[in-house]
Amino acid sequence: MSTAPLQSPRFATALAVEIHKLRRSLALLLAAIAPLLIAIFIFFNMLRLQKPMPWEMALQSSAAIWAFFMLPMSVTALTALVAQTEHGPRSWDHLRALPLPRWHLYAAKAICVLGVVAAMHLLLALLTLLAVELAGAIKPAVAATGPLDQSAYLGLLGRVFLSAWLLVAVQLWIALRHASFVPALAVGIGGTFFAVVATSAKAGVFLPWQIPVNQLASDPARAQFALLLGMIGGCIALTAMLLHLGRREVR
Amino acid sequence: MMPAAIETHDLTRRFGDRTAVDGISMCVPERSIYGFLGRNGAGKTTTIKLLLGLLKADAGSARIAGIDVAADRIGAARKLGALLEAQGFYPHLSGYENLHLSRRLLGLRAREVDRVLDVTEMAQHGRRRVADYSLGMRQRLGLARAMLGAPEVLILDEPTNGLDPEGIADMRSFLRELPARSGATVLLSSHLLGEIEQVATHIGILSHGRLVLEGALAELKAGLAGEVAIQTDTPERALAIALDHGFDVVRDQHDSVIARFTPREDLRHATACLTRVLCIAGGIRIHAIAPRQRTLETLYRHAAAQ
Repeated sequence: MSTAPLQSPRFATALAVEIHKLRRSLALLLAAIAPLLIAIFIFFNMLRLQKPMPWEMALQSSAAIWAFFMLPMSVTALTALVAQTEHGPRSWDHLRALPLPRWHLYAAKAICVLGVVAAMHLLLALLTLLAVELAGAIKPAVAATGPLDQSAYLGLLGRVFLSAWLLVAVQLWIALRHASFVPALAVGIGGTFFAVVATSAKAGVFLPWQIPVNQLASDPARAQFALLLGMIGGCIALTAMLLHLGRREVR
Repeated sequence: MMPAAIETHDLTRRFGDRTAVDGISMCVPERSIYGFLGRNGAGKTTTIKLLLGLLKADAGSARIAGIDVAADRIGAARKLGALLEAQGFYPHLSGYENLHLSRRLLGLRAREVDRVLDVTEMAQHGRRRVADYSLGMRQRLGLARAMLGAPEVLILDEPTNGLDPEGIADMRSFLRELPARSGATVLLSSHLLGEIEQVATHIGILSHGRLVLEGALAELKAGLAGEVAIQTDTPERALAIALDHGFDVVRDQHDSVIARFTPREDLRHATACLTRVLCIAGGIRIHAIAPRQRTLETLYRHAAAQ
């Protein structure tokens, strides 16, 4: 019987393996719960109202709460949980001894996390629409009014997602670098805290935890700058992370 | 001389001021079971990490099946399977899924997972979550993963750790048959001398990061000095008299006088000479005299004392 390899390991395989690891994981549970919490809030908030709310406002408030607070906190928790998948059972030695380039392991993890964050945005969009519809069905007096511009809403969430790349890169790098989840959580909580308390600060746009919420800024130039900084900064940070983690020794 | 499955030359690794592996030149012959011995902190795990390419050597080189680990880590890793102390299984996934992930990363066929589960007698537990496995089952699963793709060289770091006596016996018989069954070479790291003695064909003993003894176990044991334990009421005096007459003697923790003879000496004749010296010249009353077995433990103690 031949046990010879079918083919040289490809990056797609490492990515598929990474996706498989998410099955029944806490990371996947978190990815579902975080957008659901926003939708639940929107739903009950609408039921409290006496007057109907325009669709645009309902969707904007969902996106704002998400980008302002829930996204940085979710990314902090998600990256820590994904990194703990390897740190917890101490599987780095096994993985890094395999006959494949080590950067495959880290790049697959990064793409997987970005994929999950993108899925969270899509889920948020779906659950928010459902929450608003459901609240209107239960209490017709508050049923959303005005046009429902789904593409504008998806576009906004898309920009929020793209501008979160730097945040994802920073949090994932710290979470993968340290076996303990404490440094990643401390940085994530601290970053979110400063992003919240320094909302109006001009320099806030440079803070990775505040970049996504800048997509809702009234100044289009600021939103555009935040988008480019988040995306390009994220790509640079992820590349630096691959170089650093791929070369370092795990003792 | 048999070709080497694992070969190192002056392999050295330092952590700050501490030299964990100090110029090791080892040779593990093909299809052998090489017992890699040493107390905790002797440098066994560091050496294994150097062989796996997990650590970089400060000096020297390591070759797996002829492939230089530093020059071609991926090529060398293709020849290897390893069971490490930290097994690194995903507890939320089943045993089968864990092997399936490794199998995919190795680019092997799906049926390879069934093969290794059968070989390690884990097939009936494959669908259970690893979180529900006993330590022994995890060790078996680790062995199954190491055997994926039938690698030429297996590195097993403390494979009997945490196993019950039955599990240890099973693992022992499994390992003993491995080279004949699969053609693999096994590097078996352990501090359990009794276990190594029962399965190893070759040994290497590490002490303070240096390889102090290496070779075929049978040859090393045959070449070991013979020892005789003498029990007497006056061990101090017996020791002094024997030393005066040029015998190589020590006193052990049980107050016996241990006389050591070189392999070239006829043990029976040499013992008779010593007895005569003690009884006739020294007037020592001997209660018992018995040859000590040439065990791996004796070898280990001799080597570690160097």
